[in-house]
Amino acid sequence: MENVRKIIENFTCEYVENYKKTWLKAKLSSKDDLLNLSEAIKKEGLRSLSTVSPTDFLEDNIMEMNYFFEDLDTKRNLWLKVDLPRDKEGCKIESLTPLFASANWHEREAFSMFGVQFLNHPDLREIIKSEDFKGVYPFRKDFDWDAHEKNQTQNIQQIVDAFKKEQNENEKDLDPDSSETILNWGPTHPASGPIRLRVHCDGEEVISIDPDIGYVWRALEHLVTKKDFVGAIVAVERLCFMDNINSMVGYCMAVEEIAEVEITPFASWMRVLLGEVARVSSHFMGLGGFFNNMGLHTLGMWNMDTREFFLDFLESYSGARIATASIEPGGVRYGLDMSMFDELQKALDKFDNSVGEVEAVFVKNPTMKLRSDNVGILTKEEVHEFGLSGIVARASGVKTDIRIDEPYAAYGELDLEYITQEKGSAKDRFMMLFLDLKQSVEIIKKAKAHIEKAVADAKMNPTKDHMVKVPKKLPKGEAISRVEWARGEVLMHLVTEEKAKTPYRLKMRAPSFNHTMMLNHLLKGQTLADIPLIFGSLYICQGDLDR
Amino acid sequence: MLKILDFFDYAKSESLWMAHFCTGCCSLEMAAAMGPRYDWERYGYLPTPTPRQADVLMITGLVSKKILPALLRTYAQMPEPKYVVAMGACSFDGGPYNDSLSVIKNPTEILPADVFIAGCPPKPEAIIEGLEQVKQKIKNGEPSAASQGGLWKEMEF
Amino acid sequence: MIDTLFSAFVFPGLLYVLVWTVGLFWFFRKFMAALHKRVGPSFNGKAGSYQTLFDLSKLLTKESITPDGVNPYLFSIMPLLAVIIAMLPAAFIPWMDGLVVVDSDYGLLALVILIGIEPFLLFLTGFGSNNKYSFLGGVRILTQSISMETAFFLSALSPALLFGTMNLTQIVEQSSWFSFLILFPGLAMYFVALLGLLEQPPFNIPDAEQEIVYGFYTEYSGTNYFLLKLAEFAEFMAVFAGATALFLGAYKGIFFDSYFFFFMKMLGIAMLMMTIRAATPRITLAQMLSFSWKYMVPLALLNLAWVLFAKSLWFMGA
Repeated sequence: MENVRKIIENFTCEYVENYKKTWLKAKLSSKDDLLNLSEAIKKEGLRSLSTVSPTDFLEDNIMEMNYFFEDLDTKRNLWLKVDLPRDKEGCKIESLTPLFASANWHEREAFSMFGVQFLNHPDLREIIKSEDFKGVYPFRKDFDWDAHEKNQTQNIQQIVDAFKKEQNENEKDLDPDSSETILNWGPTHPASGPIRLRVHCDGEEVISIDPDIGYVWRALEHLVTKKDFVGAIVAVERLCFMDNINSMVGYCMAVEEIAEVEITPFASWMRVLLGEVARVSSHFMGLGGFFNNMGLHTLGMWNMDTREFFLDFLESYSGARIATASIEPGGVRYGLDMSMFDELQKALDKFDNSVGEVEAVFVKNPTMKLRSDNVGILTKEEVHEFGLSGIVARASGVKTDIRIDEPYAAYGELDLEYITQEKGSAKDRFMMLFLDLKQSVEIIKKAKAHIEKAVADAKMNPTKDHMVKVPKKLPKGEAISRVEWARGEVLMHLVTEEKAKTPYRLKMRAPSFNHTMMLNHLLKGQTLADIPLIFGSLYICQGDLDR
Repeated sequence: MLKILDFFDYAKSESLWMAHFCTGCCSLEMAAAMGPRYDWERYGYLPTPTPRQADVLMITGLVSKKILPALLRTYAQMPEPKYVVAMGACSFDGGPYNDSLSVIKNPTEILPADVFIAGCPPKPEAIIEGLEQVKQKIKNGEPSAASQGGLWKEMEF
Repeated sequence: MIDTLFSAFVFPGLLYVLVWTVGLFWFFRKFMAALHKRVGPSFNGKAGSYQTLFDLSKLLTKESITPDGVNPYLFSIMPLLAVIIAMLPAAFIPWMDGLVVVDSDYGLLALVILIGIEPFLLFLTGFGSNNKYSFLGGVRILTQSISMETAFFLSALSPALLFGTMNLTQIVEQSSWFSFLILFPGLAMYFVALLGLLEQPPFNIPDAEQEIVYGFYTEYSGTNYFLLKLAEFAEFMAVFAGATALFLGAYKGIFFDSYFFFFMKMLGIAMLMMTIRAATPRITLAQMLSFSWKYMVPLALLNLAWVLFAKSLWFMGA
């Protein structure tokens, strides 16, 4: 960490300070230094760029850029800021994509939403946005949404026309003599979900893939700024429904940091418990999805059977199976009736009874191994380069797990170990998912036992301890929080104004964004049959891809 | 002769196949409805891989602006008679995304739905009940709502 | 005359195939559901037994879309041709003692040729659909059938070699427990090749939903799709019946001979097929090709050698 500090102090900075245990926070005085500094810290070992997050300060006429650098090996992180002028001519900065491959789409996103021009970016096209936002930047604070909304019919017609034009001219640029053609893999495709991959292929062979995303773009980062701090959890949990709890945990941690509130031990243990239940229910879908994409639905069905019992617990706790909205700034929303643990025990028993047959029939399935052992291989180097996280990174042997690297909630009190695989192939990601699922169930058991014991010893009061009060108005400040989500690392960057009732800016860095970036890299030169397999193994959720 | 035609009408109502098209989060609960506990195949529902063989188009939750043309085209690809089921609060008025700048608040004004299923997301039981109502609608011989009107007729997609 | 009409339209013709389709479709769904820990069709009729009847009737009355830019004649005639070709092999099968429509000395040859033509018709359906996914499906089915049919034919020949006749009735009459044991490797190979020929997992490559939507079925709707489904199930019947007649002694039962045993043997093969379907993911085209040419075909040839050897050992002397 000291080395990083020394490197940064070679450049003129407004400040360099320690932040949390593993972070260094610095602000560059001049945007011209960015490229040199990044190159230096890349040499030092901070090889992954987690995300790029602009914040638009309308009154100061400043576009503040936030860069989050990570070193997945030594757990050193750097939060680098630099100011840009807001006006369209001056809002330009050197692109980091030539240095950090992971910056590619993040910079495209910043360009589409805020209009930040990145110089020397190899492929600066707009991403995610629908056609009616072409040329305007919806996340800028001076974007007049009401005026835009008034022409809705016209906007929709514009989108429909653009769609028609695109479909008709899809193959215009192709060489008429070659047998190259373009397949639209999605959004109406049995395995794709709302994403479109433009697959350039020659017969069965894939030449290249250009993912077209944004089909479930809900502008969540913009939506939260219209809600109060508690109401925002509704938007945050819809990052992806499969694991909604952990994203709420991340957001609430950021709010609590700004409000300077400590939550009770009971609430932090409940966050662990609920978070792991959500992770388990997400992993069940992921495991099933992997086999579904090879044309076998049995595992998906069996997992759905077990998953229902875990959802039963969530339902008994919060009243909803999926949209629980049960984590709130200050703790967890509801107290716990200890009889709710009976439901959880049923789920755990069901899991213990059924995991053996899943392992025998599917995890050891020879055909699955034949299919997936040698495709979609991601090396350790690529994991660092593209800033991958979660299951995908661990399957390649990179030891990264936010629960251990930067413990939050009650994870610090649990003895967790990194689970990794070696090779990084599609099969390894599947195995990783399965092992992670088993680990999560173990954590649930431990957390459950801990809470039960503490309640029996009268150290916790399950009906009263669940919340501490968080003021409705927050001071000016900003915070970042990281959580290990089912799909990988979620980084939340929250900015508030003085006496704010609503978040000023919330950036959600979602793992699927980086993972989808890998598709072209992984699928080039493979066959059509590998598309669903690799797509499924990357464990992508379109919800957090588009946000 | 009348009896035979009646039989075919009845068959039509009892065999609803869904086009596979997810626009939003509610498809997660649709997957749960296919699963072992709820198992909508008991009632004869079946997902089909291509819209050409489908009878029902499910609008699973929100319809973002970008996906709308694809949704309409999928609907146009289905053979008559075809029905539309709108799931979740989003497909009624935008639901939790009512304030969002990229979600269409009134997708059913563009493509009218025969049945709305309430919830965010609707429970699997509710989905099955909604589809049972589509069956009833077909049995009563009512024409589908989308064939009666809607903005989609004026759009070229 | 009445006899001809009866066999064309009732047994083993159209009506039989229709009933078989409705029944087997229901059985597949029910059996699959059980393996999925589900119930399957349940509320229409006893245990949902009317469900597939409704499904298929519905397809008959739905709109049949002919997409833009296709040749409407090719597009619509192919499903019909596919059904007719798929139903023809039933005429050569000895369903019961003495009940065979065409008692030909070349029954086996007719059977394998008629089964072999089917994929080419399906290729044409994909070719004529003006859809990239359909076309890919068509090319895949052609590739697959060429490589799988070789093994299929070679393994289907082993009973003919053993008994020295291609007449299916005579093959059935000569079959015994002992011949079943000799032909068992042939049966195993026939079964694997059958999975490839019928596009069942792990060889369901031509209509791989997750890869190419629905292969050659993609553009078909309404009646045309119904006909294609009918053809698919008729082909199931032909291939299952072929296996039963060639290797399993057809109608021969334990205490008495009857059609009941024929049916149960076919059902047994269907159940085995479904179990594999519920537990095996799909392999890729390249893996299928190497599996077929590197293992299946050489093994099928070896099997022929084994049958010849067994014949010279135990059948020549007698």
